[in-house]
Amino acid sequence: MPTSTQKPLELILARNLMSALSTPAFLVDEGGLLVFYNEAAGMLLGKPWEELGTVGAQEWGALFGPFDDGGEPIPYDDLPLVKAVRDDRPAHAEFEIRSTDGAGHRVEVSAFPIQTPHGSRGAIAVFWPATDGASPNGASA
Amino acid sequence: MKVKLWGTRGSVPSPGPETIRYGGNTSCVGVTLSDGSLLALDAGTGIRNLGLSLPDEPSRLHLLLTHLHLDHIQGLVFFAPCFRPQTEIVIWGPASPEASLRDRIARYISAPLSPVEVRELPCDVSFRSTPESEWEIGPARIRAASVSHRGPTLGYRIDDGDRSLAYIPDHEPALGADLEKLEDEWISGFGLAEGASLLIHDGQYADAEYPNHLGWGHSSLSHALSFARRTGVDRTVLFHHDPLHSDAQLDQLGEEARERWAAAGGDPGAIELGVEGAELDLRAATPEPSPVPAV
Repeated sequence: MPTSTQKPLELILARNLMSALSTPAFLVDEGGLLVFYNEAAGMLLGKPWEELGTVGAQEWGALFGPFDDGGEPIPYDDLPLVKAVRDDRPAHAEFEIRSTDGAGHRVEVSAFPIQTPHGSRGAIAVFWPATDGASPNGASA
Repeated sequence: MKVKLWGTRGSVPSPGPETIRYGGNTSCVGVTLSDGSLLALDAGTGIRNLGLSLPDEPSRLHLLLTHLHLDHIQGLVFFAPCFRPQTEIVIWGPASPEASLRDRIARYISAPLSPVEVRELPCDVSFRSTPESEWEIGPARIRAASVSHRGPTLGYRIDDGDRSLAYIPDHEPALGADLEKLEDEWISGFGLAEGASLLIHDGQYADAEYPNHLGWGHSSLSHALSFARRTGVDRTVLFHHDPLHSDAQLDQLGEEARERWAAAGGDPGAIELGVEGAELDLRAATPEPSPVPAV
């Protein structure tokens, strides 16, 4: 039998779709492990996915935040992606993330679970600048 | 394990003088396991001849459906064992949150599309959604996994002793992805095909045809060759021929496939186009792993 650990098709297709979008988007598996973000998200964070690689949500928080209005790190369990995976429900929040150059970016985040006939496989989160009229890649709408 | 191709065509039956060599029947593959038991993969129109080849005696057989598009189930109501009370048929297929496998198949095997209803079939038929984990049928270990196509679609891997068959007849693994750059774990169907003795894989389109069929759920020749190379299979049969492809066109496609495989360092004998009626003995066919192209 083969030895590779195959990603579920739903995650593969989600990644393929995300790769073609200009909207920053993040993908976690059913264990909450960040398994991909797209080029637009990489621009927002200042680090392309290829340079970061798979990280757990805890590590992700240490790298990029997010932070609440007072600048305090938002607890792991309150992140929309974590809620989506854990509770199998969509979640939305607004907060600040920090890119690798130290710049803060206020974003709105919507996350939703990826459900399959065999249960939840992970979640997708879409980030959007929390500035009126802004588009996700920085241009005015 | 022995494999016989009963239907190699995709989409719609295409009988006629121009398709007589590669065949016009839609997807169906018979697999005889090491203990002599039979599996049928898909129930396109090719399954009619498979059924006619079976003796009229008490038997039990498993039918593994990749998905429920018509070219994969159309032959079911013409499959002779369905009409033999002494036959037990177990039909496996993809799960769906919408309806049971039985109810979804019954949309075809019911009026006005069919003269008989599922409940009227004389055989002892049962329907099972494939489990997530591997299961056993006779001496074989079976694994099903979702693959990239339109609608819920499975590929299968059958391991019997040290021989293995991967069957992925409808597959577009390169949709939105570059197969040459993706990590193994992110390639649709990779885990099913990895290192298989024989891969039966979608090869519906010539490269020039693919751009007009992007997202239709099928592979170009380049994609099929890339998939075969990445998964390191011993031998590949390109399958699910486009109904518009004549024997002459398929000859050309097969020649191109062999040339490109050889040019990349592979054994040209390890790539072939599926021919209706062809029999492949995995024990004899692949005593040694074939060279796999490096690029």
